[in-house]
Amino acid sequence: MATTAQITITSPDLMPGSALNIAPPVVTLTKAGVNADLDQKLSGVIKVTVGDPTEHRLGPLATEMAGDAHDIASYLYIKNTTTEDATYYIDWGIHETMIGRLYAGDWMFIPWNASDDAAEIEIQAIGGTNIIEYCLFNSDVILPTAA
Amino acid sequence: MATINATATISSDIASYPVTISGEMTMTKSANPSVGLEETTGLRTKKFTTTTAAVIVEHDELTDDKAHKVYIRNASANRANFFYVAYNASAAAAGTAETIGKLYGGDWMLMPYNGNVNITVASSTATETQMLEYMVFADGIVAAKG
Repeated sequence: MATTAQITITSPDLMPGSALNIAPPVVTLTKAGVNADLDQKLSGVIKVTVGDPTEHRLGPLATEMAGDAHDIASYLYIKNTTTEDATYYIDWGIHETMIGRLYAGDWMFIPWNASDDAAEIEIQAIGGTNIIEYCLFNSDVILPTAA
Repeated sequence: MATINATATISSDIASYPVTISGEMTMTKSANPSVGLEETTGLRTKKFTTTTAAVIVEHDELTDDKAHKVYIRNASANRANFFYVAYNASAAAAGTAETIGKLYGGDWMLMPYNGNVNITVASSTATETQMLEYMVFADGIVAAKG
């Protein structure tokens, strides 16, 4: 099992006379500090609505991840697939601290170490209902006990 | 305005059905999403030989509450080492508000950034040198005061 990630960032005109072409080698994402491949993932497509509650948790809490699955090397991809209005965006952050705006059409990819339950991923829809795709790699989620 | 395109390709065979994510975007301004970003702090490379935390993005150089993007890559090869990456006013990057994650050797990240608080990093090792690449694609740079 292998999970790989590659990025390219290009611009012919951001820096006149010097075309930008960032294209580092493909990286194989592994468990923290070792060469073992990631072996868990959690993904979905969800509508994020404006209003009560204003902030939503995306993904598990640290205590909802088994053993050493948290505080290590998890990776989160989110794409805002909203097409209704290009000014809509998702405010994203850690716990209650918002870090950036993921506008309609934008994607992001970050490492996330989920050090504790106060390091959860939070998102908030701004402008209107936003639709996002997400994929969290290496989320060893503990399934709830059946009733 | 400039045209800046970013593409992520993430492939995984964790599941029995292979997953390939192909994310493409053109970086645009918050006030007008049809207009491309046109400023940058430049691509920087920094060598770290200690675990002392450092600010790599100073928020007061950027306009607040905008659609900046930050690219960061651990350009070292050793998967045993990493950088803490945090969104924090002070230099601390580990175990603080708000540590985002650990960027291991070869890992990269691209995140939207509002420009309201500094971005900080701290190397996990003082015995091995680690190299960090980073670049801000800015939705407004504040001119330095004389």
